[in-house]
Amino acid sequence: MHTLTRRIKNPVTLLGLVVLILLGILVAGPLASLVASTIPADGDFTDSAWRDALASPMSENLFWTPLGNSLLVAVATAVLSTALGAFLAWVVVLSNAPFRKLIGLLATIPFALPSFAIALAWSSVFRNDRVGGSPGILAGMGLDVPDWLAWGAVPVTLTLVAHYFSLSFIIIASALAGLGGDLLSAAQLTGASKLRVATSIALPTVAPALLSGFLLAFAEGVSNFAAPALLGLPVRFQTLSTRLYGSISTGDLERGYVLAILLVVVAAVILYLGNRTTGGRSFAVVTGKASRRQTIPLGKAKGVVTALAGLLIFVTTVLPLVVLTLTTFSRRSNRFDDGFTLHYWFGESDPSISHGMAGVFRNDQLIQATGTTIGYGIAVAIGAVLLGLLAAYVIRRSKSKVVNGTISFLSYVPFLIPGIAMGAAFIALFGSASSPLPNLYGTFWILVLAGITASIPFAFQTSKSALGQVSHELEEAAVLAGASTRRRIGSILAPLSARGITGGAMLVFVTTVRDLSLVVLLVTPAIPLLAVETFRYAEEGFTQHANAITLIIALISVIVTILARKLQGQQQPWAQ
Amino acid sequence: MKNLLKVTSLSLAALLLASCAGTSEADSEIGTVDANEQHPEFADMSHDELVEAAEKEGEVVVYAFTSRIATVAEEFGAAYPQIDIVAHDISSSEQIERLRSEHDAGAETADVAYVSDAPVVWNELLSDGVLQRYVPERVEDELDDQYKDPLLTNRLSTKVLMYNEEANPDGAPVENLWELTEDKWASKVVMVDPTQRGDYLDLLTEMVLRADEMAASYEEHFGEPIELDEGNENAGYQYIADLYANDVILLSSTDDVNEAVGATGQEDAPVGFTSYSDRRDNAEEGWALQVADEAAPGPGIIFPAMLGITAEAENQAAARLLIDFMMGDDSENGGPAYEPFYVAGDYPTRNDIVDPEDALPREEFPAWEITPEDSAGLRDDVNDFILTVE
Repeated sequence: MHTLTRRIKNPVTLLGLVVLILLGILVAGPLASLVASTIPADGDFTDSAWRDALASPMSENLFWTPLGNSLLVAVATAVLSTALGAFLAWVVVLSNAPFRKLIGLLATIPFALPSFAIALAWSSVFRNDRVGGSPGILAGMGLDVPDWLAWGAVPVTLTLVAHYFSLSFIIIASALAGLGGDLLSAAQLTGASKLRVATSIALPTVAPALLSGFLLAFAEGVSNFAAPALLGLPVRFQTLSTRLYGSISTGDLERGYVLAILLVVVAAVILYLGNRTTGGRSFAVVTGKASRRQTIPLGKAKGVVTALAGLLIFVTTVLPLVVLTLTTFSRRSNRFDDGFTLHYWFGESDPSISHGMAGVFRNDQLIQATGTTIGYGIAVAIGAVLLGLLAAYVIRRSKSKVVNGTISFLSYVPFLIPGIAMGAAFIALFGSASSPLPNLYGTFWILVLAGITASIPFAFQTSKSALGQVSHELEEAAVLAGASTRRRIGSILAPLSARGITGGAMLVFVTTVRDLSLVVLLVTPAIPLLAVETFRYAEEGFTQHANAITLIIALISVIVTILARKLQGQQQPWAQ
Repeated sequence: MKNLLKVTSLSLAALLLASCAGTSEADSEIGTVDANEQHPEFADMSHDELVEAAEKEGEVVVYAFTSRIATVAEEFGAAYPQIDIVAHDISSSEQIERLRSEHDAGAETADVAYVSDAPVVWNELLSDGVLQRYVPERVEDELDDQYKDPLLTNRLSTKVLMYNEEANPDGAPVENLWELTEDKWASKVVMVDPTQRGDYLDLLTEMVLRADEMAASYEEHFGEPIELDEGNENAGYQYIADLYANDVILLSSTDDVNEAVGATGQEDAPVGFTSYSDRRDNAEEGWALQVADEAAPGPGIIFPAMLGITAEAENQAAARLLIDFMMGDDSENGGPAYEPFYVAGDYPTRNDIVDPEDALPREEFPAWEITPEDSAGLRDDVNDFILTVE
């Protein structure tokens, strides 16, 4: 038995060390250098960026108000996303509403859309006369759109909800599907009222899923950059993300770093406390024993419920895509009365349109960006999943509590770091002359490393659950039969967990290519990414180009998401 | 005797001061690196040899702060089909950051930068050698000194108050900048966020530098001397505070400002600070932009648009060729190469190119020409001040 332990132990210890070093460089390193670069060399904080942010006449506008706005958006996004996601999950999994399968499929799409897609669509529809010029579609029809509906907290929150209710839906639907039908019918048979069944059995079972959905939406809301950047400025609605971006992009690095640290701290505290209350179940996919489900007959409410669910899906999935598509054909931004054109897709450069910018399919820069984006997505997906697998494998085999604890912790930390702050941290570590590591700023690799780091939590969880499906006995048997570690991984673990892991990799690909906030600070013109190009075009007022690229990203993401979900069939139990 | 002593010491002090000023001036002289000193092989090249070398390189990458670079690229591509031109439209503020970071990292960067925001460029990019000076011999004699040193300037651009001439057929609705702080213009003044864009920060900085003129205009408009609120050091700062308090609307790009101010069919069009030359797009974009040139004490600023070669430029010959190209040919309007810049509201720096028609001649245009050295010292303070009044 002792020789056996030794034989297993050696390669695992080695692997554990490798994983720890990698996680150290990718997760701990950037954070450490972020903090280090804000500490004045002489230890005197009186003229430091810390004082600017926290205790100067500027602090209110630089930090406190943006902090309040970030929290407001995050909490409102989380509450609404969870409520809507739970409602849809209930309709799709437990009710007998017609079209519920179609609704279930469509409800997963908004999450695959880039987070600025709906913000762009919103601005096309609701843009009002506060910014003068050509109005949005509604104002163009003569309607009076109030400022609070066109700009600031309300539209920012609603566009984020439209993306992230989808995530809550996936998590809650999985939990509900795992809820044994026999449990519910048993309760009903023994005479419990519908309300009683809901509050005493269904709710406690899905509570962790509700909270997980809430926290994920909170994390996305607190760090989102695109929505407030596109919809906030005209009413001076700033969040920590937009302030951070503003500081760093205009060269005030230290101030940006300080805001990044503060954002990480705020997000981390709330997410950590929240996750503790879920008892560590966090956002791991809840799987349950599939027993025949019973659907709840809706009776008279059937029509209303179906209509509500259908409407929700329509305004968050179908409508934005339709609006974005239509606007790419309009000769003038958001005007459908001024003629239609294919110019923004296929047109040659014409000095009289958009300052001579050619259509997106004739734009070399965009074609290059498409290539870079896909390459970036694939590299991150492979890198993150490999690292996730290694980490999960070490945890599975290693008996050292310290090693396992550290790996689990470091694999979880990136979840607490908002994307834009992560971008800032990577600049601090890989982009400054004073850093001990090679300077990677302006290279493809800084993007890939940042992307991998941001994806570690998801890749690790996916790998853990995929490996978890392979029973330990199989591996032990192989060990007894004398198979090497490499052999065991290659012949047993890999083939048996391949489906789940490939699906996980594809979802990493999707979340990577559609994300803006992580890369907006890291991209340079030599390594263009589609998401950043879109943002730039939107900012410069090239609405049609921005919307067209958004559609290209959406198309790539949605196709890959659907494929991934197919591969990971078990993660969508409600559809079976 | 006493008096004599006094006079002597005073004159001594004056002398001392003068010599101090002298040295500090010498110290602050911008340390430009001359691109041809770095690469002497280009110094004596003929134009044809330069073209040959550039064609061998086959590519040139340019960062430009104006979307007009797309048209320049078309023209350049037509003139030199063997050279691929890759043009990136990046705002000056962002360009400066990128050029510096890419320089520090030794990363792939542009060959040519076409950039405004002179205070920061002079102060930070030139002295660190990130950008280098190149003045084509062909145009050297046609440029005043300040347009070839410390960096080549191919035109002057503006950020000035513009209005919608369709909505205001009788002329500019604003005669004094202080009107913009009154109820009539609440939520009706647009500009790009000056904490995000250097050109706009320079505009507000110039108002602070010209606080005396701002104070005089205040009195002219309101009939009484200005009273400063606590914390506002001078009339320039007071103006910024009042403008923000009157809900000035911040947008993300000058094109958004043009659209907001200029779009036709508006009854109650806002006014805004943007480029005089964007008037050129009125017909194509459906705008009715016009300059409020008589707004006292000045309608805004006029500043250099500069061309330089990056320290790490890979395509040294093509970079020189592109800069040469962008200075225009020797006709009186600069020819097709200069056409994108030969527009009403921009001012050519070459003395042999005549000012475009349909715009005020440079002498009659009362915008303030910025002094990059002075702005550089004050910009950060103004930026921080804006953060307190936002």
